[in-house]
Amino acid sequence: MTSHRTTRAALIDLGKPLRFTFDGTAYQGFEGDTLASALLANGVRVMGRSFKYHRPRGPLGAWVDDPNAIMGVTLNGRSLPNCPATTTPLEDGMQARAVNAWPSARFDIKGGLDLFHRWLGAGFYYKTFMWPDWHLFEPMIRKMAGLGDISRNVLEDYCADQVHDHCETLVIGGGAAGLAAARAAAEGGQNVVLVDDKPVLGGGVHQLAGVEDFAPRDWVASEAHAIEAAGGRILTATTAFGIFDHRMVGLVQNGPFGTAPRLHRMRAARIILATGALDRPVTFASNDLPGVMTIDAACEYLARYAVLVGKRIGVLSNNSLADDKLAMLAEAGAEVVRLNPADGAICALGRKQVRCVAQGRNSHKVDTLLVSGGMTPLVHLWRHAGGKLDWCTERQAFLPGAAPEGMVAIGAAGGTFDLDAALAEARAAGSGVPADAIPSRYKLTPLWPEPGSKGRQWIDFQHDVTLKDVELAARENYVSVEHLKRYTTLGMASDQGKTSNMAGLAAMAAVQGRPLPEVGTTTFRPPFVPVPIELYHGHHEKQLWHPLKRLALEQEHREIGAALGEYGGWLRPGWYGTGDAKAHIRQEILTARNAAGLFDASPLGKIEVIGPDAEAFVDFIYYNTISTLKPGHIRYGFMLTEGGIVMDDGVIARLDRNRFVISCSSSHVGSVRTHLEAWRQDGNDPDRIFVHDLTDHWATLTVAGPKAREVLTDLALDMDLSPTAFPHMTMRETRFAHSPLRVARVSFTGDLSYEMSIRRSKAAELWQALVAAGERIGAAPIGVEALSILRAEKGYIMIGKDTDGETMPHDLGFGVPRQKKKVAFIGDRSLHSVKANGARRKMLVGLTVSVGDKALPTGAHLVEGTPLQSVGYVTSSYDSPTLGHPIALALVENGTERLGESISVWHMGETRMATISAPCAFDPEGARLNA
Amino acid sequence: MRNDSNKWDAPAALTVGHTENGVALTPIELTRQTLISGPRVLSQADWSIVGWPGIAPTPPYALSLRRDRVLLVDGPDMADGWQEDTQRAISDASDAYSVFDVSGDRAFEVLQRGAELRLDAESKSVARLLFGIGVLLYRVNTEDQFRIHVASSHAEALVKSLKLAISALRSAGQGNSRPEDALSKTS
Repeated sequence: MTSHRTTRAALIDLGKPLRFTFDGTAYQGFEGDTLASALLANGVRVMGRSFKYHRPRGPLGAWVDDPNAIMGVTLNGRSLPNCPATTTPLEDGMQARAVNAWPSARFDIKGGLDLFHRWLGAGFYYKTFMWPDWHLFEPMIRKMAGLGDISRNVLEDYCADQVHDHCETLVIGGGAAGLAAARAAAEGGQNVVLVDDKPVLGGGVHQLAGVEDFAPRDWVASEAHAIEAAGGRILTATTAFGIFDHRMVGLVQNGPFGTAPRLHRMRAARIILATGALDRPVTFASNDLPGVMTIDAACEYLARYAVLVGKRIGVLSNNSLADDKLAMLAEAGAEVVRLNPADGAICALGRKQVRCVAQGRNSHKVDTLLVSGGMTPLVHLWRHAGGKLDWCTERQAFLPGAAPEGMVAIGAAGGTFDLDAALAEARAAGSGVPADAIPSRYKLTPLWPEPGSKGRQWIDFQHDVTLKDVELAARENYVSVEHLKRYTTLGMASDQGKTSNMAGLAAMAAVQGRPLPEVGTTTFRPPFVPVPIELYHGHHEKQLWHPLKRLALEQEHREIGAALGEYGGWLRPGWYGTGDAKAHIRQEILTARNAAGLFDASPLGKIEVIGPDAEAFVDFIYYNTISTLKPGHIRYGFMLTEGGIVMDDGVIARLDRNRFVISCSSSHVGSVRTHLEAWRQDGNDPDRIFVHDLTDHWATLTVAGPKAREVLTDLALDMDLSPTAFPHMTMRETRFAHSPLRVARVSFTGDLSYEMSIRRSKAAELWQALVAAGERIGAAPIGVEALSILRAEKGYIMIGKDTDGETMPHDLGFGVPRQKKKVAFIGDRSLHSVKANGARRKMLVGLTVSVGDKALPTGAHLVEGTPLQSVGYVTSSYDSPTLGHPIALALVENGTERLGESISVWHMGETRMATISAPCAFDPEGARLNA
Repeated sequence: MRNDSNKWDAPAALTVGHTENGVALTPIELTRQTLISGPRVLSQADWSIVGWPGIAPTPPYALSLRRDRVLLVDGPDMADGWQEDTQRAISDASDAYSVFDVSGDRAFEVLQRGAELRLDAESKSVARLLFGIGVLLYRVNTEDQFRIHVASSHAEALVKSLKLAISALRSAGQGNSRPEDALSKTS
């Protein structure tokens, strides 16, 4: 056993042993361990397999930078895929399995794929599977693609809590610099929040012998206490995964395994970035063997988890930070062999883990090889916020440059790797009192990949991208870093290139003989660490994903068996009754035609336009002239866009001289309200026109059918219902159950019809009265599906269904206002354009089929010519129970001049014939409408 | 054309209070809500104007919605239409909005789950998006009693969201171990 637990004081609780399994074998760890640290403590080196070649993989890092140890974990019946072992806190009873390996990470049956690596280089898929057809290979490749398996068990209560928060100063990172900055800011009276992604604060401080004459843990506790005593807040196990507009920082706070994390949307006036830096891997032959690890990771395992990663440890470093760390490892009992990069190329030897390191003619028998190629500041969040990066030759790293507003980077994140300098810098940033910079003692000799060198040298450890792959990409002219990334998948693994990007950029720079900063970086995008999709949607799922509007009468509809569905953003009855839906809809239509249908039309818009300029305004808004409308009268009209396209149709009623009610389409209420509000303030006097959307205040119930008058008579309303006293397209106001009641004689079915609007709280009373009255004459409730057919029989259109994005009012048979309306209205100019007057405009028509033919498919093309060309399409098509034959509406070129012509209807390879007719197929004279 | 009845819970409009985790969600019955618009409706108001995070006095009071519009709560019965002498457009909107109170020490935490709110950032308007739904939000009586007016057709969704947010308080603090505690347990 190479890696093992030591007696060194650390951050685990030895009094709380935890049992767990990995790939079926039982192990023990302690509270405070991660899965990776517990496995290392048990001498387990191989914790996963690489994606492409299934090479054995052990942890390279100790936290979010590790690309190798990815596991599926189950605890108490809850399974989560692709958990990074280095960041998953150990819990009692955990069952972990390596992803991408079977039956185990140590003995993976697909490990043989590595034998074929010569033929599986970058771009292999693109080149190999083109012939004879990519789709032949697709199923197999899809099966092999991806990491981990998603459990089929739905985690029912896995719902992320989401909370908005704000602070004056947000400090990201709870290491030495972050703690010092947060304390200085909090003691300066600022509202401070400090977040750290680890469960225990301190960052790399615990690796140190001491901080400012304190033991590391005492110093951390003292700083944390001071922050909280000054009113600051500390969130541990919380990762800042992205910075968005106006310093909105996304924080993911993790809880026990299997529980959904919490999302904090933290708005910060100022952000202090103290995210630290990563220890870079070094590129050499077989650098992917388990046992090769960064120096910083090894020290973290020792400091936090009391795990010494090897007994005889080789060390390869190019920088001055390694010295203190080596002493720590030696003190813990390791035999340390230091290798000098200048002494020749390195090659790690071993099959499933490092056994030996060769350098030139020398060979060193080691069980572990620790590497450090220099420090890479974690600047991801800086870039999310729009900060610039500058190349630092001295540190061989991209450092934060021009800062985004309200943001500063300190400590290792800003390239300050010495503790005393970082603390001084942090306290200055926190307090706002400048301090003199302390010169850096950090020394480094560049150590980058060398193209052309021997052996397989890994750049991206999870995705198996090697130095040769980068060279190949360059040869094939994928020299841009963005192209390199996508061609080789470098940096596209679950770690998002935290350890591979710099090596990849350096390799490409070396291949091209260009300076590294000239090659540039790829784009940093949120999230910084993988987060579950649940984090983003929280409880906005299922019924709360896009909550439908609910009718006042929904319960009443449910009680009589309504089949509810979404229609225009509302949950409405489609039909009533269980079983054969088409039979129910057919019966509802016949009921409406023979007696009367009772319909809940509450979603219809009830938008009032009020004010001294209301009359002129509705004239401007509508295509039709409205100003001539008398109080108590109703007019059908169109609203157009500026382009002259029909955006809504409906009726408008005049209540008095200064007041109109617009009854727009149910699904267009929001857009019509916005339209009215926008135009009210543009070219009109907004102090003389006011728009009140009262759609939710009024419920609307419709009685439509030849016996509708009998139903209303039964209500004993205080009004004369005779056709002469209350004709079609008029409106009356009365009272029902001591509440105002508006009754409008308008029809969407072609029959005698009354629309009654009453305040929402009284809707049930009116509905029950109507149902009771209706029962006596054979009337019954009807749903939206029946109404859709009833209106189509009459040739009434639905905007968006029987019109498209080019339909103008004259295409629908309403051409008079275009020619004669004198006052300005929206869309006027566009109705006189060349296009509007074109000879081949698609116009609304009806279609009839031969006796015995079935209904035409909606969407079928109307075609003619050789070769066949589409000249229109079917917009609505139904079997009409009233007429006993199919009906259809269509938009067809030059339609109104082609009535009576036969036309071919093409759909899915089948061609049928239809005859172009007038849209109205039911009661064209309007006798029933005006009854 | 499909029957989605089972995908949507039957309406369970909040008719009695719901209390959990020390937060009470209470339906409020108002006598009248009146939408009033006019060029000087804020400056020449006859009632106390309430903005955010204002605490409304005993009714009647007027909620400031925008520079030319208020919602008068429990005001006198007025005729709908254009009022020439005051230059105001008036509409009864009593049933347009359902009204709820969220109260308790942690009531504000509940609301913070639905919107980015700050008590120290004043706004002349009480109009907000809460859980993605348009509402009118302000305080009544005390500092921890928040009143919400929501379009009646969206009340069902808002109540469901509020109840989930109230439940979420139970787990608040989860995963947020105090640093001293974490350090004191270690070897």
